[in-house]
Amino acid sequence: MNERPARSGLEPLARVEASVPTSRPQTLRTAVRINIRGRSVRLRGLRLPPTGIWRWLGILGPGLIASSAGNDAGGIATYSSTGAQYGYELIWVMLLITVSLSIVQEMCARLGAVTGRGLLDLIRERFGVGWAVFAVAVILIANGGLIVSEFVGIGAATELLGVSKLFTVPTAAALIFYLVVFGNYRRVEKIFLLMTLVFFAYPVAAFMAHPHWGEVARGAFVPKLHRDPNYIFLLVGLIGTTITPYMQLFQQSSVVERGADRARYGPERVDVYSGATFSNLMSIFIIIATAATLHAIGKNNIDTAADAARALEPVAGHFAGVIFAVGLVGASLLAAAVLPLATSYAVSEAFGFSKGVGLDFRRARLFFTLFTGLIIFGAAAALTPNLPVIKLLVWIQVLNGVLLPIFLVFILLLINDQRLTKELKNTRFYNVLGWATFAIITLAVAIMLLMQFLGLWGVKLFGS
Amino acid sequence: MLSKLRYFRLVDNGGRQYVLSDIAIALLESDYPAVTQFLYRNSEGEQMMLPWHTVKGIDWRHSRINVSSFDSAKSVTEESLRKEVLLGRDVIDALVLDLHNRRVTRANDLWLEEENGKLLLKAADTSSFAILRRLSHGLFGSGPSRAPYDWKYIEFLRGDPHAVGNGAGYHMRIKRLPPGEIAGLCRSLPYLHAAELLTLLPDALAAETLAAMMPDRQVQVFGEVEDEQAVRLLARMRANDAANLLRRLTVESAESFLKRLPKARSEKLIDLLRYPEATVGGIMSNDMVTLTLDQTIREALLRLRERLKQTDFTHFLYVVESEASRLLRGTTSLQDLIVADDERRLHEIMNIYVTTLDPLEPADAGAYRVLDSHLAAMPVIGREKQLLGIVTVDAAVMQVAPQSWTAQAPKIFS
Repeated sequence: MNERPARSGLEPLARVEASVPTSRPQTLRTAVRINIRGRSVRLRGLRLPPTGIWRWLGILGPGLIASSAGNDAGGIATYSSTGAQYGYELIWVMLLITVSLSIVQEMCARLGAVTGRGLLDLIRERFGVGWAVFAVAVILIANGGLIVSEFVGIGAATELLGVSKLFTVPTAAALIFYLVVFGNYRRVEKIFLLMTLVFFAYPVAAFMAHPHWGEVARGAFVPKLHRDPNYIFLLVGLIGTTITPYMQLFQQSSVVERGADRARYGPERVDVYSGATFSNLMSIFIIIATAATLHAIGKNNIDTAADAARALEPVAGHFAGVIFAVGLVGASLLAAAVLPLATSYAVSEAFGFSKGVGLDFRRARLFFTLFTGLIIFGAAAALTPNLPVIKLLVWIQVLNGVLLPIFLVFILLLINDQRLTKELKNTRFYNVLGWATFAIITLAVAIMLLMQFLGLWGVKLFGS
Repeated sequence: MLSKLRYFRLVDNGGRQYVLSDIAIALLESDYPAVTQFLYRNSEGEQMMLPWHTVKGIDWRHSRINVSSFDSAKSVTEESLRKEVLLGRDVIDALVLDLHNRRVTRANDLWLEEENGKLLLKAADTSSFAILRRLSHGLFGSGPSRAPYDWKYIEFLRGDPHAVGNGAGYHMRIKRLPPGEIAGLCRSLPYLHAAELLTLLPDALAAETLAAMMPDRQVQVFGEVEDEQAVRLLARMRANDAANLLRRLTVESAESFLKRLPKARSEKLIDLLRYPEATVGGIMSNDMVTLTLDQTIREALLRLRERLKQTDFTHFLYVVESEASRLLRGTTSLQDLIVADDERRLHEIMNIYVTTLDPLEPADAGAYRVLDSHLAAMPVIGREKQLLGIVTVDAAVMQVAPQSWTAQAPKIFS
């Protein structure tokens, strides 16, 4: 005879024995004891905040994703060149950039949480349609170019691993499309966060290359300046590639989409700071890996990130090269997903279209159409034979360079607008750091633009 | 068009002229607000306000507004302008609710028309041609507007939940929409705008709208409304909706609200909050009608009149041994009760074969049992067979459906 208690409904209720269902939970959540009108009650239905590692993992999100997306194919190429040409000498710059990146990204996260609105949304309302349209036009061109370069990065890295780009680039595009269009924000965020794990490939590659840690420490804390144009170019390039307008756009819009508000802003700040620190630490490991291998044997010229991966193989072993390439695929994939999203957020905010990964295609048609269009464009262009990728990247850098100081001014003005940010407006300390960042970036961008334009006429700044 | 009018000059009889800087309107005067003041800066750089009654006519061809004189103009400060609604500062480029199409959009341009000696705000142009028109100073995109939306159906929000309390005016046509549609609009709005929208609704509608919002948005918006309103909303929401909202708050906030709610309401919510959210107890509702075994149909119907005013779920009526013990003995439907002979007793007509749920059963398993049974609800009983609550088919659907559906899922039985 079946020993399991019979389901209710077969006998009159009065005769049914009360039974414990077999699926009853084994353990129950800890109850919260609260006191209501002098009576102590135990409630298991209230949510206790997560503790320990889960608390920290729960905090990570837009800050880590936005900063890590900056370590894309272009970024890896710049960091690799830095390591190959100047060894550990420019690591101190990365430490300074970490502070600047943290400040800029934090202000955007705070604006997003305090206002519940994206950056372009606020620019449109506070500074007018003219600035908004200008920003959108530049973003479309600059980010469009960057998306192409990310898919080029995916293609190049997977070919290093022996898989044809004709297969991997469309597959990557389809994967990103599926993830964003059919996912909700929470799921997309989790997958993006998982993607950042590939960046651990760089510390592994760096350790396998057996660097001289004393030299690394000296490079990090003892600034050494050179007057040669390559040095200046790389210095400016490091700033330009680490702090890019799309990172601010994505940061603010995704904080909004995540549902952060002024009451629950604290964790966002932790996310931003840890994200900026993590991503720049990974950049430093790229510099260390290439410095320990390529610079040490006098191989100074690297044109692309894929070259760096290939170049590591004979020096640091086959696996170091493979690991570097895996990191490059992951980094490019993350940036290839973040960039079209940031662009779609920006355009939708500027023109008042419905937006958000959490919405379906029917509710945010223009947002998803733009997102899809950018992915198709990026993947198709990346498969175009003889694409002048390096030239493309240079012009993208110019456009982003023009936009970045303008964005920084907007961000600083908005965050100091008492009507918008109320008690969360910038402190004096933050303003000093913010405006100092603006001054340094503007100077760096001005030098870069000058070098680019003078270069067109064959004139070289800072000597030959 | 405001894009055109913004470049007009104010010219008086003596030939003095100033460039118009902004336009004030009386937002609540009628469906189509009339222009009340023109703003300009005088030669000393002072901000001045000139009333509409000084206007003799608008010369659209020569881009000028002819006024009798500037003598009635008054100097104004930024502070005094705070309470005015200015078309340039506040309305154009702002997020507005297009109630006609149930969407959130931007006012890219504003359509003004002269009518009976007044200049009225008639429509908002949300098309991209309006942007083109503004950027090119009217050179391009100045044909007939592609998307002029009647101002009557535009609700203009300030993005400040306290604006309602500070005396800001609204059309209030939003009240005519069902709560689900208002919640849908709130989804596309920044959370401060959504909180402002909720604040201006009557409590009953606001409570239903809040319940229809996505969980994350619900918590954001709830956090922005004043504490008094928050308590009123919790008191008006269905018990399981209110309990679900409290679950998502911090323990301290939930405790504070439970203390401030009326005692009966608070007790009801505490009974629901005793169970973890992943269990049947976590998705059940305790808003149902109970009748006692020995009541006649006549007595039961009399009692129902009062109970139905407060109770949400009325499809089934639950027959218990006594109000004190609440031991479940059977169920009956409202229809059966109404058609039954008045002198019969409840135990004669009730169904005694009742499928029940355990409060600590996993929520998913319980939800599927409700859905598989095709019943409107299934009772939840404790170890002693006392009635604790019911899981309605709506709650079951919400439990098993993807989260994105929760805003659209109809609530028929609860």
